[in-house]
Amino acid sequence: MTEPHILSVTQYLQIINTVLREHVPSQEIVVEGELSGFTIKDGKWIIFDLKDENDAKAKVACFATTFKVTGVFENGMRVRVFGFPSVKPWSTFQIDVQSIEPVGEGALKRAYEMLKKKLELEGLFDVGRKRALPRFPERIGLITSRDAAAYGDFLRILNNRWGGVEILFSHVHVQGKESVPEILSALGMFSDMSESDRPDMIVLTRGGGSLEDLHAFNDEAVARAVYSSKIPVVCGVGHERDESLCDFVADVRASTPSNAAERCVPSRQDVLYEMEMMTRQMEQRLTDSLADKKLVVERATRTVRSVLDRESQRLLVSAKRLRDVFGTWHIRLRDRTSSLEKLLRQVDPKRILARGYSIVTVAGRIATDAGTLSIGTEIAVQLSRGTFDAEVVRTNGKGKQKLI
Amino acid sequence: MATKTKINFQKAFEELESITEWFEKGEVDLDEGLKKFERGLELAGTCKEKLSEFENKVKEIKAKYETDI
Repeated sequence: MTEPHILSVTQYLQIINTVLREHVPSQEIVVEGELSGFTIKDGKWIIFDLKDENDAKAKVACFATTFKVTGVFENGMRVRVFGFPSVKPWSTFQIDVQSIEPVGEGALKRAYEMLKKKLELEGLFDVGRKRALPRFPERIGLITSRDAAAYGDFLRILNNRWGGVEILFSHVHVQGKESVPEILSALGMFSDMSESDRPDMIVLTRGGGSLEDLHAFNDEAVARAVYSSKIPVVCGVGHERDESLCDFVADVRASTPSNAAERCVPSRQDVLYEMEMMTRQMEQRLTDSLADKKLVVERATRTVRSVLDRESQRLLVSAKRLRDVFGTWHIRLRDRTSSLEKLLRQVDPKRILARGYSIVTVAGRIATDAGTLSIGTEIAVQLSRGTFDAEVVRTNGKGKQKLI
Repeated sequence: MATKTKINFQKAFEELESITEWFEKGEVDLDEGLKKFERGLELAGTCKEKLSEFENKVKEIKAKYETDI
């Protein structure tokens, strides 16, 4: 017999824990049971017991942190717990819980309702925070499974409606254990992209299914990731009537994967029609404006014409008045002229000559004083008819002796 | 990754909308109106050309999954 090993308590517990880790195939085991004594301490530590329904004595203590385990649970809820067994220094045996999943439609439904209430109260569903999508996206991030019908439906409708979009497709599982971390990292990757590389919107979609199938879309962490996405998110899960927490958190809630495509891009026909209407509207306004201008020109022409008419009328009146005034003035002038002429004619020296007078000139100058004339001077005498020249023989009785 | 430059449909369409709005409000100056109309037709042409693109390109990208479970 060999000597026993002597160990400290800590060393002993270490061995126990190592053995438990190595020999309990924890990765392959989940423990199913009912929740009891569920409490959250300081918002960080989750403590509860997992027990069997039909044997109140069979129970195991469980410990978890709110970093790892999200969701809302309540006592009596049937759950599956995944975690590692360990014995604590204070000698309690417990499961270090990695995840808790409600079991059965009833529990799932209940957990879903409670979580929905919680997120709603926190304001994650507020309509006011929802972002509008750009009308003509150039790049769309697509998160779904390439094996899902949703993938084909989305792309088919997108192609029918619009073209030239770059789709950044991130393949994820849309159900099962991998789905939550995969969706989380896909959302994270898009948000982490530089602004110029980022898609204009993200589409998160899958077809319909049971509450269990949709669990990734009802996961608290996924809902929060959708909420905090830097890019607007369009969520289209399931059929018309299905709902998921992501639907409520997303900026746009589409009813189906096809509807998600409809919400993302406009249809060519609609846009063509709209452009047609816009061009027609512009043309109409331009034509209207031309007609307006024509009216203005016509009105102006009419005004100018009437002004011209009025002015020419005035001109005619003035001309007539002028003619009239000129007429009377002319007559008056003629009368005055003839009376002056008459007067002039009366003083015409020729008329006096006709009466027997004559005009005597000496060297072209009229002689009016006989005293100034010298004997022998040659004088010219003008009669009414003809002229003759003579010599002065006597002035005022003096000079050459009269013959008789 | 391709940058978003080429023909920006959104920008062209918005400009077209703003031109239409310009026509809708108040007096239309003929000279300016003609210029804007021409621009509008040009934009509508560009947009229509873009609308004739029928293909959407799908490009698969891989996210790095956290594996601490």
